[in-house]
This record gives sequence, C-alpha cells and structure tokens, in this order.
Amino acid sequence: MISFILIILVSFFFTGIVIRTKSIASGRKGPGIFQPIKDIIRLFKKGAVYSETTSFIFQIAPSIYFASVIMAIMVIPFGQYKGIISFEGDFVFFAYVLAIGKFFSIISALDTGSSFEGMGASREALYSMLAEPAFFLLMGSLSLLTGYTSFHEIFMTFHFGTYVSYAIGVMATFVLVMICMIENSRMPIDDPKTHLELTMIHEVMILDNSGFDLGLILHATNLKFAMYGALIANLYFGDLPLYYSIPIFLVIQTLFAVSVGLLESFTARYRMSHNAQFIFTLSSVSLLIFFGVLMILGKLV
Amino acid sequence: MADSQLLFISLCITIIGWFAIYFVPVQLKGKITIGFVVLNAILTSIPAIHVLNSEKFEILFSGIALIGEVPIRIDSLSAWFILIINITSITGVFYGFGYMKSYKDQKSNLTLHWIQYLLFHSSMLWVCMVQNSIVFLIVWELMSLSSLFLVIFDHENSKTIKAGINYLVQMHIGVAILTMAFVWVYISTGSLDFLAIAQFFQTHSNIWLFLLFFIGFGIKAGFIPFHSWLPHAHPAAPSHISGVMSGVIVKLGIYGILRMITFISSDFLLLGEAILGLSVLTGLYGIINSAVHRDFKRMLAYCTIENIGIVGVGIGLGMIGLGNGNNIMVILGFGGALLHILNHSLFKSLLFFSAGSVYQQTHTRDMEKLGGLIKKMPQTAFLFLIGALAIGGLPPFNGFVSEFIIYKGMLEGISSSNMYQVILIVISFAGLSIIGGISILVFTKSFGTIFLGSQRTHLHSEPVEVSLSMRLPQYIIIGLMICIGLFPSFFFSYTSQIIITSFPGLGVIQTDSLIPFMDNLSLVGLFAAIFLVLAVIVYFVRSLLTKKNLTQVSPTWGCGYVAPRASMQYTSKSYSKTLGKLLGFIVIEKKKYTELEKSEIFPEERKHSAFYVDFFENRIIGRITNALQYFMNLFQFVQNGSTQMYIIYGLFFILLVFLGTLFNII
Repeated sequence: MISFILIILVSFFFTGIVIRTKSIASGRKGPGIFQPIKDIIRLFKKGAVYSETTSFIFQIAPSIYFASVIMAIMVIPFGQYKGIISFEGDFVFFAYVLAIGKFFSIISALDTGSSFEGMGASREALYSMLAEPAFFLLMGSLSLLTGYTSFHEIFMTFHFGTYVSYAIGVMATFVLVMICMIENSRMPIDDPKTHLELTMIHEVMILDNSGFDLGLILHATNLKFAMYGALIANLYFGDLPLYYSIPIFLVIQTLFAVSVGLLESFTARYRMSHNAQFIFTLSSVSLLIFFGVLMILGKLV
Repeated sequence: MADSQLLFISLCITIIGWFAIYFVPVQLKGKITIGFVVLNAILTSIPAIHVLNSEKFEILFSGIALIGEVPIRIDSLSAWFILIINITSITGVFYGFGYMKSYKDQKSNLTLHWIQYLLFHSSMLWVCMVQNSIVFLIVWELMSLSSLFLVIFDHENSKTIKAGINYLVQMHIGVAILTMAFVWVYISTGSLDFLAIAQFFQTHSNIWLFLLFFIGFGIKAGFIPFHSWLPHAHPAAPSHISGVMSGVIVKLGIYGILRMITFISSDFLLLGEAILGLSVLTGLYGIINSAVHRDFKRMLAYCTIENIGIVGVGIGLGMIGLGNGNNIMVILGFGGALLHILNHSLFKSLLFFSAGSVYQQTHTRDMEKLGGLIKKMPQTAFLFLIGALAIGGLPPFNGFVSEFIIYKGMLEGISSSNMYQVILIVISFAGLSIIGGISILVFTKSFGTIFLGSQRTHLHSEPVEVSLSMRLPQYIIIGLMICIGLFPSFFFSYTSQIIITSFPGLGVIQTDSLIPFMDNLSLVGLFAAIFLVLAVIVYFVRSLLTKKNLTQVSPTWGCGYVAPRASMQYTSKSYSKTLGKLLGFIVIEKKKYTELEKSEIFPEERKHSAFYVDFFENRIIGRITNALQYFMNLFQFVQNGSTQMYIIYGLFFILLVFLGTLFNII
C-alpha cells in the first residue's frame, strides 16, 4: 500500500523534474515541476475530438491502458512492505499486465486508420517485444540468486556484499532504466519532442487522442516512470525501516528523473533502424547479470 | 449403465449416424450431424468424467485373430483429451452447421463432409482409448484420412488438393515411422499391448525408440522441422475444420508423446533437455513466421506451431523434473502443458471460427484486402479480439494461466538444477518471453488490419454479421476461457491429479507441497478479476467525467495531408516488415516481378508481389524432394505410353518369375 501511495505521489512531479532539468541544461528557466500534472488536469476538463474512423476500441483503450499501469504499480513492493498484490511469480504477472495495456494502446492507434499511427504502433510492438527478454532474464537471474520468485522476497533477500553483487546492482539499474526509457518511448529510443511524425513512436500513436483520454495516457506515462523508479529504488532498500527508506526512495526517484533529463539533453535519438539492435543488447547485459549470479552461487567454474 | 456399454453404444451410433446423414434431405444433414456428435460426446464424456474422478477404466476384447487382445483403457490422461476433443468437436459442429449453409447446393459433397466429420470425431476419441498397436494404427489412420477428406471439401480448387496431398503424404510418413516403432516393440517383446512398450523401455535403451515415437507423433503435433503440413492444410480447410484440427488433432500428437513419456524409464534428462530446446525453437519459429504472413488462416496455423512449442516447453520441463526427482517441477511442467492444451484448443478454435466468419463474408484470406470490419461485424470483431488477447497470454484470460504455470515450472527448475540445465532453462525463459512479445505483435497486427481502420479494397458484397449458430459456439468458448482465467486452481487441480496418477514413478507425492502453489494460482485468478473490475471502474469514471464535455467527430488527423485514402493505411506487411528484416535469415522473403526492359518505352501494367517462404520447407525439405524427383525422373522413359512397350514389360516380368522359380531364386 505504501509503495502504491508513494508512486502515485512521485508521478505528480516526476516528468516535471525531467522537464526542469532539460530546461536548465539548455539554459532556460523552465516551468515548475508540477506543470505536467496541471496540464493533465486541464486535459481532464477538456472536450474531445474523435476520428470518424474509430470504433469502441478507441474509446475503451486509454482506460484499459491506464488500469493496466495502476495494476502493475500495485505489484511493486516497498522494502519490507509488500505491494498490494504479492504472490510467487508476481513479476510475470507484472510484465503481462503491462502487456495488456500495450496491446490496447497499439490497437487503438490502428483503430484510427492513419498511416502514421500504424507506423508508431508497429514500432512500439517491436521494441517492447525486444525489451521483454531483458526484463525476464534480469528477474530470472535475481530469482536464481535469491531463491524467491516474488518482487518483495527477491528485493528483501538481495544484498550487496561481494564485488560481483555491486556489479549486478549497477547493471540491473542500467537495464531497468533502459527498459523504462523504451517502455515510455523516451530518448535514446524515441524523442517525444520531435516535430516530425515519421520519427516518433509513442507520440505518433496518440495523435488522435484528445481530452480526457489523452490525459489518462499522459499520466500513465508519468506513473510508469515512477513505477520503474520504485523498482530501481527497491534494489537498494533491503529491509531498512521507513524513516530511512522513504527519503532514499525520494532521492532515488529524483536522481532518476534528473538523469533522464540529462540523458535527454545530451544524447541524440538513435537511428530508428539501429534501435532494434540497441534494445537487444540490453538482453546481453541481462545475460551478464545472469553469469554474475552464477559466479556468486559458485555454479560457474 | 456401465461405462463399457456407453462406449459400445457410441460406436453403434457413429455407424447409424453415417446412414442417417446419407438418407436425410440436404437441409437436415447438418442438424442431424449435430445431434449425433453431441450424443457421441455425451456418451464418451461420461466414462471420461468417471475416470477423472475415480479410478481407471479397462476392458479387454479378445479372440480376434492376428491382433490378439485389444485393451480399451481410459486413464485420466485419455480422459482429459477425450473431454477436450468433445468440447471442440461440439463447438466445431455447431459453427460448421452455420458455416456450411452457404454450400447447400453441393449435396453429395456435404453428405461426405458430415459423414467424415462424424468419423473424424469418433476416431479421435478412440485414438485416446485403444491401446493395441495395430488397432491404434488403424484408428490413427482413420483419423488422418477422415480429416483429409474434411480438408479437401473445396476439392475443385487445385490449391486445396495440393494442400491435401501434402497433408496425406506427411501423415503417412508419420504413420510409417510409428509402424516401425511399434514393430520394433512387437519384435522384442512379442506383445501388441501398449504395456509392452513400458517393458521394452525397462530393458532397452530409451532414446532411439522414443525418438521414433517422437518423430511419428511430432509430425502430427507440428514440432519443427515436421511442421510443414500445418501452414498448408489449415488455410485450405473450411474454418470449422481448421478450428477442430488445430484445436485437437495436433494435440493428439502431443497425446501420443505424453503417452510414451509415461512408459519410458530412463534418460529423462537428456530427452527432456532435447524436447525443451526443440520446443523453444518451435515456439519462436512458429510465432516469427506467423508475424510475417498476410493470409490470416496461415498466420493462425503458424501460431498453432508456436503454441505446440509452449506445450512442449512444459513437457520438457516435466521430463527434466522427472530426471532430477523434482516432483513440483514435474507437476508444474506437465500440468501446465496439459492445461495449455485445453486453453489452446479453446482460443485457437475461437480464432479460427471468427476468422472463418470473416472469410465467409468477404471471401478473402488476405488481410491486406480487409479493414474496418469492426463496424460491419462488431460481434465477430469482439470474438476475435478476445481470442487474440487470450492467445497472447494476457490476463484475465486462460492463456495467461497456463503460461504462468509453465513460467513457475521454469523458476522451480532454475533453483534446483545443475548449471547446464540452469542455462538452458534461463534461455528458454527468455525465449518464452520473446514468444509472448511477438504474439502481441502478431495479434495486434491481425486484429488491427482485419477489423480496424477503414476498408482497404472494394469487396464484391457488403459483409454483414454472421448467423447466430456461428456466433453462439464462440460465446460458449469465451465463457469457458474466462472460467479458466478466473478460477485457474480448479482446473489445475485436475491436471495435476492427472499427472500424479499417470506417473507412478513419482512416488508418494506430497499433496501438501502443492497447496501453496494452488493458493498462489487462485490469487492469480483473483487478481485477474480485480484487473477486470479496475478497468471497468476507470472506464466508468471516465464516462462519468466526460459526460459534460464537448465531443465532436472529425476525420483522422492526417498530419497536414488533406487527402488521405484507405489504401494509405499501414498494412500488415509494413507492420511486420521491420521484424521480418531483422530475422531475414529465418523468414525468407521472395519477390515476383518482371524487370522493366530497356526497349519498353511505354511499359505495360505489371504486378509485383512479395511473399515469405518457410525456411524448412524451402531450404531443407524442398531440396530433398527435388533431389528425389530428379532421381525419379531418370526413369521416366519406362512410362512412355506405348502399348507395345508395356506388353514387353509384362512378358519380361513373366520371364523373370519363370527363371526365378526355375533356379530357385524366389
């Protein structure tokens, strides 16, 4: 429950920090960190324009997408406190619940019959598919290391001790950050601020969404950021008491947001045709984690 | 009534059914087949349910010369398959009744079709029951042949006949290999009873005989590289037949493999690792191919191969568990596989049925020609969508449950095996996640292209929603699917019980050790339900809040372009092109076009087509058959069509026989 509330709270200003960092990095003052959530609230009040090509899929998809993200957040634990949902193998559930949201966001893009949105949908499907094995290899290795299969127990028993475990921690953080960037279609995979539809992924999928639905989709992105931030933070908690873990959580989320902002300020988006290879290399980082785990367990000679 | 009597009655009913179908007028043929199939299903389901709840069923027919005793056994494994066959056959016959209405002028063809359907259903049931090698092969052959006649319903189309012959040949290669295996057992043990196979395995090396059985049954099941009949036969068959074939007939290959696994007594680890590896490859190969094809029935056929891969992963895990003595892994692996067999038979028949409805209305299987059907056939679109979600393994549907169990089996395997197994299992783990990811790509693509957007080409007749008799069975399937998705532990308790009774080698199984997992599984169902509720709540809140807001309808935003056309929409080909390019070494793209000549000042209209060919069929099987054909062609001169030569052959043959007997050679 506590992780759920904290993630929701952080989601209100996460993208705000990202935008603020980007502004400062480019020498501007930038909007306040609550500007994105204010924009979303404004969108909630606005009317909507629906394409005449669309069907009921387009109406229900944003809600299902949002619900899937909320459901996934419920799985995230907070240090020694379980998530609202916690059972053995819950990370599989986590991945598949996110997938159902993705399924609907993709078909809602196809529902508009626009060639641009179809292109975005195709890319989203491909890239998230390529990122999938990285996540599963990572979680599989961690579960091998700890002997548990739920987020809560894995994070509770994951301790830093040896050099290899530090390396695993760093690599796991890297993999989670990159998966988060892919899932949210941010740099270096996709540039949300680009002005050319041909070069977008996620932004082009939601070209026809407006009003309340657009607000839901945008806020789902914020939630997803905070959710992955929470996953990363969980790597470092162990079983610390709340008065340590909550500040650590906030610091890690802020650091995460700032680094996303810096990453977006100083890197260019990769060439679309090279994205697939890049994403797939994430799986090799996950494989490194796996071999690291084998080393710790003494199974690798 | 005793179970044996029920079975006997069911056999009689099948035979009465054939005559009844033959004699009734054409408009009643479908209805009467429904009656007989349902009756048969009830009669065979009762013993199966008895077996699932209590003990084995066994009768011996003896006194038949040559064959010896014919044991008819139903154990819980057979019972599970019998129930799956019955469910799918019933929904198939109801759907087929509606589907075949448009063919009512082909009277004799329909008679044959329905008679074969009845035979097909009944032979599948008996495949699960008879345990005498010869009778088994006969029934197996009946099943293959009857399904062949069902496939080639549209026999005036040369492509259908070609697919049919392809199917026929491949099935017979399978039967030949199975016969070889059974003969081997018979020679070494002198018995035709299936129990002799267990004896054989106890005293001989397990690997080679199992390999023969695996290939023989694997051709039916569609493991790579034996899968190449599936993508031809499924699109050629009428949709209810594709649904039933994909739903159950390929599963009988799996039944055979599972049956043999219950008999083997050593080499579990080696065989398990081999099956696990092959299955992951099968799954990946199937889904990658399914992503690039634009014929939606072929796409579904490849997807069947993928699901066979997932089932195989479960089987492989179970065998590794048997080898390691890890009982939980055995139950999760085999139990997940059995549940996935049921699940797949449900959602794949649903998908074939709804795809068949599309075909019936539009007369094309090419996704690229469709689009926007959700407005004309909203219910079919909904049915296809549910099937697509379920087959992608997404909660709250049933596909997630069995995939979750298999994932759990893998996690169980990771923590308790040696290093090589750990590496293999972790790679399969990632492989399964890729399969899941691509299947989302496949089904967003097919649903999006067929049903969403706007219509791409002009169709000859305006498609309308199909009849109730075609929709109703699909709703029933959805009901079952949701039941499995929301109450998984109920169904899994049956499959785990089947595994416990089928593998006496498991020793005393600690049912207690399964309880935490069962609780876990019911939690999965609960959370799936919560997700459903949550989605409804979000949608409800959204509708409530946006009620006052102004909404308007306008054309899709064309990004500044003001004259968009339907043909400019993203197509299924372009949707999966990037994936096809990435994996170009597996899915080989071929193009057919005529190059522009220099002399052509005013070029004529020409066609350009790009298509994908099957790696194994094109690169391996094709080369072998080509070489064979080349060799055979060398003897073409023998058949030269002149009567004089044929008479000389006859004389030559007589001479040969005469000389042979004269010198005691033959």
